[in-house]
Amino acid sequence: MIGRMLETQELRKTFGTGKVALDRVSFAVRPGEMFGFVGANGAGKTTTMRIVMGVLQADSGEVRWKGGPLGFAERRRFGYMPEERGLYQKMKVAEQIEYFGRLHGLSAEAAGKATGELVERLGLTERTKDAVESLSLGNQQRVQLAVALVHDPDVLILDEPFSGLDPLAVDALAEALRERARGGVPVIFSSHQLDLVERLCDSVGIISAGRMVASGTVDELRTAEGRKLRVIVAGAEPGWAEGLAGELTVEGDRQVLVTDDEDDQRVLRAAMRAGRVEHFGVERPTLTEIFKEAVA
Amino acid sequence: MNGLLQVAGREVRTQVRSKGFIVGLVIMVLLVGAVSFAPKVMGGPDSYRVGAVASERLPIWGDTEVEWKDYADEGAARKAVLDGDVDAALVGGTRVLTDGAIDDELGLLLQSAHREAQIGSAGVTITPLAMESVGADTRYQKTRSGIAVVLVIILFMLVIGTPMMVAMGVVEEKSSRIVEILLTSLRPWQLLGGKIVGLGLVGLINLVAVVAAGLVGATASGLAVDFPPGMAGIVVGVLVWFVLGYLFFAAFAAALGSLVSRQEEVGNVLTPMTMTMMVTYGVAFYSVSSPTGTVATIASFVPPFSSMVMPVRAAAAETPFWQVAVSGVVMVMAVVGVTLLAARIYERAVLRTGARIRLLDVVKGR
Repeated sequence: MIGRMLETQELRKTFGTGKVALDRVSFAVRPGEMFGFVGANGAGKTTTMRIVMGVLQADSGEVRWKGGPLGFAERRRFGYMPEERGLYQKMKVAEQIEYFGRLHGLSAEAAGKATGELVERLGLTERTKDAVESLSLGNQQRVQLAVALVHDPDVLILDEPFSGLDPLAVDALAEALRERARGGVPVIFSSHQLDLVERLCDSVGIISAGRMVASGTVDELRTAEGRKLRVIVAGAEPGWAEGLAGELTVEGDRQVLVTDDEDDQRVLRAAMRAGRVEHFGVERPTLTEIFKEAVA
Repeated sequence: MNGLLQVAGREVRTQVRSKGFIVGLVIMVLLVGAVSFAPKVMGGPDSYRVGAVASERLPIWGDTEVEWKDYADEGAARKAVLDGDVDAALVGGTRVLTDGAIDDELGLLLQSAHREAQIGSAGVTITPLAMESVGADTRYQKTRSGIAVVLVIILFMLVIGTPMMVAMGVVEEKSSRIVEILLTSLRPWQLLGGKIVGLGLVGLINLVAVVAAGLVGATASGLAVDFPPGMAGIVVGVLVWFVLGYLFFAAFAAALGSLVSRQEEVGNVLTPMTMTMMVTYGVAFYSVSSPTGTVATIASFVPPFSSMVMPVRAAAAETPFWQVAVSGVVMVMAVVGVTLLAARIYERAVLRTGARIRLLDVVKGR
């Protein structure tokens, strides 16, 4: 499956001030995979993406594409949406999208055709002749996306593409990205909206203080977190859970036990002896919980 | 190269369509057209109308034309003078009627013509004095100086204005961060080169339009008759020197512009360039009045001063071709040097947004 795979290997970056921005960051995105990049502000998401796009040079480490080093010519086939949005404010919408298509090497005809399709898909048909500065922020964001998509990129790298979008626009963008992924394109995007990442992404990378603290599919991360049982018992005497590992909290007349005890049947028997079992199940941590655990 | 042309094309399209460009161009064209037409309106008359009552028409020497008009009696002549139909009227070959004091030149002309006619009738023939210049050919001096002044002003406006646009464009792309996207599909030299070439073309369009307006104005006003020999060479020279001067200052401006991230800082960071340009302008303006002086001669070989001083020198006084050629070669070398240095600074600085970057740090690669 090396085909259209994007990898980073041990990326390191130190800024002039001596601050270590990235410390051996490695991850891989398979073709057609949606990779969610999460981390606190300043953790290194943007730095990583900028290095992948060649806007920044890593001190060491390598970005690899299709099993080989990634050069300028291959990168030209990537689509990029930087965190700080950048468009020519006074340029007209369609003209701008077309211009970027030409810069990515499309012929005038191909750029025009791709622009026409994108404008229609993104609901900008009415605005093609308007200057970008006259558009709402949401619409400007659509133009920005169109600029990243116009040349039918081999890889998509999007820094916070969902920030500032209303729920409908989020869905539209999510669908646009899914469609590209279905076409075999590796899609990498960063986001603070963890529920969105959980919903959309095949795999996730969690970065903290420049280090990749966890990466893999959401299920893998859950497994790594360890299986936990959650038991809610009503009317139990305190102390019933003695001898069982885990955390016991009291909520009114209910007692809640979260345990990683391997022997679920033993836990269940203990709970049933103690009182009325209202809930017994395997805990499925959300990405938010995994994230908090990972960066703690 | 294709990337560079794409960038250049966008610059040209954006500028040419902007209101500022069109308004600016129209104003410049009108201004220069008016200036070159003005001597006809404002200069003194080069022909006079003189009435004659019972008088011989006096033979007038020289370039000045006198149109004679006969009147039946003094009364009619007096009325014509007062009405301004004629500038003066000669009555009976002895008196000149004028409305107030007579124009100095016309007075002298009439007096000397009258004297000559008197002496001639006494049988004496006068050979006019032959004039011979032992200095430079100054027949075209006034026109040459005029052309040189207009050139200094046009070159100054365009050579300072166009690089300014380059710097603003660099900062615009940097401050909006669009440069991050651009540089994933373009090399820095393509982006910078395209910008310089595109805006240079815009400047050249301006210059050609203005020069054309000047030539048309001068032809319409009859001023073109006084153009010195080699006018075509002067015009071509101006275009070439504009391109060289522009390239020098544009590269300079782009390098400085790439150091800052906000439009408000452009003026400040460009100070070294604007100062250099002001000095260039000062020397060039001084050279108009003293085109063969030491200052003008030396400055016309030193880049970037030569980019403005040499065309002025060539317009204001005859300049040997070899001097122009040597100066041109030196300037081309300076342009290449500055461009290479600027490309290096630009490449290192343009992606570093935030506070202003120190030039020294960039050059040293910190």
